[in-house]
Amino acid sequence: MSTPANSTAAPAGKALTIGLIGLAVTALAALLAPEKHGVALSYLVGVSYWTAIAIGMLLMILIHHITDASWSVVIRRQWEHGLAAFKWLFVLFLPLLILAWIKPGFVWPWMDKTHVLHGHGTVGTDILYLKKEGFLNIYTFTIMTLVFFGSWVWLSARLRKASFTQDSDGDVQWTYKNRFNAAIGLPIAALTLTFAAIYWIKSLEYHWFSTMYGVWFFANCARGALCGGVLIMVWLLNRGDYKGIINTNHFHSIGMLMLAFTVFWAYVTFSQYFLIWNANVPEETFWYNLRELNHDGTTNQWWYVGLVILFGHFVIPFCALLSYRFKVTPHIIRRIACWVLTIILIDLCYNILPALKDEHGDSLPFLSINLLWVLTSVIGVGGICIWAYLKSFPTTKLIPIRDPRVGESLTHHE
Amino acid sequence: MAAPSYGLIATFETAPEIYHAAELVRDAGYKNWDVIAPCPLHGLDKAMGLKRSIVPRISLAGGLTGFCTGMSLIWWTGAYDYKLIVGGKPLFSPMFAFPVSYELTILFTAFATIIGMFVVNGLPRHYHPVLKYDQIKRGLDDTFFIVIEARDPRFNLANTTALLAKAGGKSIKELEA
Repeated sequence: MSTPANSTAAPAGKALTIGLIGLAVTALAALLAPEKHGVALSYLVGVSYWTAIAIGMLLMILIHHITDASWSVVIRRQWEHGLAAFKWLFVLFLPLLILAWIKPGFVWPWMDKTHVLHGHGTVGTDILYLKKEGFLNIYTFTIMTLVFFGSWVWLSARLRKASFTQDSDGDVQWTYKNRFNAAIGLPIAALTLTFAAIYWIKSLEYHWFSTMYGVWFFANCARGALCGGVLIMVWLLNRGDYKGIINTNHFHSIGMLMLAFTVFWAYVTFSQYFLIWNANVPEETFWYNLRELNHDGTTNQWWYVGLVILFGHFVIPFCALLSYRFKVTPHIIRRIACWVLTIILIDLCYNILPALKDEHGDSLPFLSINLLWVLTSVIGVGGICIWAYLKSFPTTKLIPIRDPRVGESLTHHE
Repeated sequence: MAAPSYGLIATFETAPEIYHAAELVRDAGYKNWDVIAPCPLHGLDKAMGLKRSIVPRISLAGGLTGFCTGMSLIWWTGAYDYKLIVGGKPLFSPMFAFPVSYELTILFTAFATIIGMFVVNGLPRHYHPVLKYDQIKRGLDDTFFIVIEARDPRFNLANTTALLAKAGGKSIKELEA
C-alpha cells in the first residue's frame, strides 16, 4: 500500500507536456485560424468538459459523506485528488473571461448590444434580452464565474484537508466535519453547477428556455466522475496499488451507479426534448430546429449527432450496464467508461457548437475543422487536469486508512 | 425404513467446516442439496458452486414486454383502431408513446422481478422435510447442516453417507420425505 513519492512523477510530467502542447496548438489556432469564433467555442467545450468531470467528482464525495456511505471509502480518495484540478480549471477559464471583456459578444453574443440578430434588430433592442438583462450582463457573468470557481475550490480544500488530516491523526472529528461540509456543500454545488451551465453554455442561445438544463448538466457531471472513477480504479488495479483493496463488488457498485445515472440522464434529456416537442412553441423549438434542420428544411448534420447521442449516451450504455458480468469485468467496464466519456464530449459539442451560424442563420456543420480544436482543447485542458491529479496523488495515502468505515469498504460485499 | 427417504442430513459445528464440506459436496458433482446456516456466510455461494440467479433475466423479459405493450397500446388506440389527431401531432410517434412505455417497462419489470423471485425460490412454503428433524432449530442458532436430497442422480445411501462423513459431518441421519 506504499505510495513512493516518485511513482507518478513520470506520468505527471508526460501529462503536463501533452497538456501544454494541446493548449499551445489551441492558442496558435486562436491567433492564426481564419474562423476564430469556432476556436473559442471549441475551447469552451474543452474547459466545460473537464470542469463537468471535476464537479462530478466533487458531487460524488459530497454524496458519499451525506449518505455516510461505506463501500466507496477506498475510491473516494482518488476523487479527492481529482479536485486538485479546480484551481487550474479556473486559470484555464480565464482566457474566455478576458475575451468576454476585451471582445464582448465574441463568445456569448448577448454581451454585445450591437450584435445583429438574424432577421430582427440587435441585442440592445431585443425585448427578450432586455427582460433578461439584469441576469445576463457581463458584470453578473464575471462575478458568478468567480463565485463558481471560488465555491468549488473552497469546498474542495475543506474536503481534502479533513480527509487528508485524518490519515495522520485518525480523529473521527474529521468525518463529522466532512459530513457538515457535505450538508452545506450539496446545495452550493447544485446551484453553482446549474448557473454555470446556464451562463456558460445555455446563454449562447439566450432566447431559449429550459428548466431542465442544469439537471442535464448535473447528469453529465455525475456520469463523467463515475467513468473517471472506473478508469482510475482499473489503472490502479493493473498497476498493483489496488491489489487486495478493490474487489468485484466495488466494480459492481460503481457500475450500478453508472447505470442509474444513465437512466437519469436519459430521463432529463428526454423530458427536455419531449416537453418542447409537445408544446411546440417557437421560442423553445428553435433550439432543436437549429440542431435538426437548415432554413430550407433539409436535415443538417446535427440531427445525426443527436441520434448518436440518443443511442450512444443512453441505449448502448444502458443495455451494456444491465449485465452483471460487464460491470464486474475490469477491462469491459473500462471500455464502457471510455465510451461514455467520449459521448459526454459529443453531448457538450451538441450543446455548444451549433451556436456557430452561417449567413442564413443555420448551424455550421458538426464535421468541420472545429472538431480538431475541440480535440486540442480537450487534450490541453485534460493534460493539465490529469497532471494536477497525478501531482496530488503521492501526497497522501492511497486510501483513507483511518476512516471509520474503511474496514467495511475493504470487505465490501453484495 | 417404510417411508421413502427425502435425503441425508449432516451436522457441522463451525463455519470453516461447512465451507470445506460444501466444496467437497460441490466437487463430488451433487446438484440437489443445500446448506442450512444460522447467519449469512459470504463466499458460501462460491463454495457451493451456485450460479447467479436467473431472476434478472426474468426481469429483463418483463421490461421488454412492458415496453412493447406501451408502444403497441398507443399505436393501436391512436393510429389503428380509432384514428385521432390530438394537438396537431402525428397519429403515432414514439415521442408521446414513450412515457407510457417506460412506465409500463418499470411496472412489468417490477412484477416480473417479484413473481420471478417467488417462483425461483419456491416461497412461501409451509412444509419442508427437514422440519421433521428434531435438531433442526439449532440451524437458527449455532449449528450448520448439509442436506443432500435422495432425488439427486448421484445420491446413493452408502456413498453419500461416506462423503458426508469424510467432509467431517456428524450425526448423519436419513430424513423422512
